[in-house]
Amino acid sequence: MPSTVEITESLIRDYINRAVTDVFKTMLGRVPTFSTPGETTSKAASPHTSGRPLVVGTVGFVGDINGLIYLHLDLAFAELCTRHLLGMNEAELIEAGDEVINDAVGELTNMTVGSFKNGLCDAGYPCKLTIPTITRGTNFSIEPVGNIVRHIYQFDCAEHRVVADILLQPEE
Amino acid sequence: MRYKVLTVDDSKTVRIIVRKAFKPYDCDIIEAGNGVEGLAVAAKEMPALILLDVTMPVMDGVEMLTKLKADPALKGIPVIMLTAEGGREHVLKIAKIGVRDYLVKPFKEEVLIEKCGRVLDLKPIADAPAKARSIFDPADLLIIEDKPAIIQQIQEGLRHTPWKIRGVSTTAEAVAQCASATPDLILVSLSLPEEAAFTFFRHIRTGIKTKYTPVFGLVVKTEIAQQQQAQTVGFSAVITKPIDTAELETKVAKAMNLDTSLRYFALDGEAMVLTMPENCAPAVLAEVGAYLKPKFAEAVDAGVNKVVIDLHHVKALHMGIIKLLFQAMQTCRELAISYALVGHAQLVSECKGFEDTRGWTFHDSLEDAKASLARATPQLAGVS
Repeated sequence: MPSTVEITESLIRDYINRAVTDVFKTMLGRVPTFSTPGETTSKAASPHTSGRPLVVGTVGFVGDINGLIYLHLDLAFAELCTRHLLGMNEAELIEAGDEVINDAVGELTNMTVGSFKNGLCDAGYPCKLTIPTITRGTNFSIEPVGNIVRHIYQFDCAEHRVVADILLQPEE
Repeated sequence: MRYKVLTVDDSKTVRIIVRKAFKPYDCDIIEAGNGVEGLAVAAKEMPALILLDVTMPVMDGVEMLTKLKADPALKGIPVIMLTAEGGREHVLKIAKIGVRDYLVKPFKEEVLIEKCGRVLDLKPIADAPAKARSIFDPADLLIIEDKPAIIQQIQEGLRHTPWKIRGVSTTAEAVAQCASATPDLILVSLSLPEEAAFTFFRHIRTGIKTKYTPVFGLVVKTEIAQQQQAQTVGFSAVITKPIDTAELETKVAKAMNLDTSLRYFALDGEAMVLTMPENCAPAVLAEVGAYLKPKFAEAVDAGVNKVVIDLHHVKALHMGIIKLLFQAMQTCRELAISYALVGHAQLVSECKGFEDTRGWTFHDSLEDAKASLARATPQLAGVS
């Protein structure tokens, strides 16, 4: 059993930055950049205020540490990512429908959260991934209940905004 | 035989990426969306390899792997994990159940293929089946030789071919070249320091894209030990220095499985012309001999029943050429083809010196031979 490392905001920022960069670079050939420093809060917040349609992937991790990560992509970027991942043109994507975009964003989220939580595992907090879910909408907020620590990080990638919204349950 | 590869993943996206990655290879991809489906498909299809995710609904990858390994009929199927679960302890736990490899998502398609290629003998499928490549088609040759004069000699000697010949001085450069564009054939000096040629050869043979690329060794004739070592490890051919570029060309064409018949055989109006080259070395005669029957039969099939055998490039007659000519004449008789010979005065004179060739008649030019065939009765135009 590896000794545990204290989970600080800096550690989380490092892990999420590495995870997002690795996934987007490897799977999409695009290198995202941190656009804002992290925001740590326990309040409700809406990380996206543009009003554009969003596709949000969610994957949790459960074990010695529990949490959820929401990966927000605007619909246009979600479509672009899906086309690149699956080698589809615009017409093929329209024919394939929303289900394919949802699945692709779900998988990108799964890979990102997997990469993030593998860092936590190796830091002494073994945990397992949950199955991805997808939320679509133009204006919604996430309101964590109880004593949840929340970190929001924004990335710029191919002229689009990607938001990683991390919710962590503090240790008992 | 096409391999069956089973991808078990709840993400359709991953299954499509896997299918896309294997598209250039001789494989059938079959799919399952969870462990229960995966076990059922594995039992029915008996795939050569399973790519398995961990986090899935209904039955996860760890449970499926445990059940697979407990089933005597299925436990021999190699499994490669393809999952976002990459924590050290998790990987060790799964490795203990028994997997051939572990690939953590995100992944590059090339890495997936490279790992699968260690388990399966993946063969690329040809983009354009049926049509064989010919000696007149372009090809890429890569020479790894630390002596620039040798590279230059090969480039000069093969200048008349449509082949693009690149030269590098180290195997590191060659590895980089092979990664960007797979050559059709590689020539490597066996005398490179620290047995670099043999290390490079092993690298080439483990690469999915290069494992079937012909590799020739270049070595001084007296270096017997290196020649034997190259043959033992499986080099396609060993070319000795000083290099006979004509011989090299023949061996390169053979190794690349090129159709070389167009060098010697051509349809010219109502006759097929067999042009014997100036260099009638044994390898060349064997090559021409192998094409005789199929090319003459092809002519008959196309409605051509006349053959002109043009020897005016041949400087001197020898037994190898005479034997080939007898073989050609015999093939013509079997296919009911008329034939005529074209040759210069010296050949005519040399033919008079052999009992079996004394009766052969030569024409001065192709036109004379064709005119003679047009007038003559079948099969008799070449014999007086």
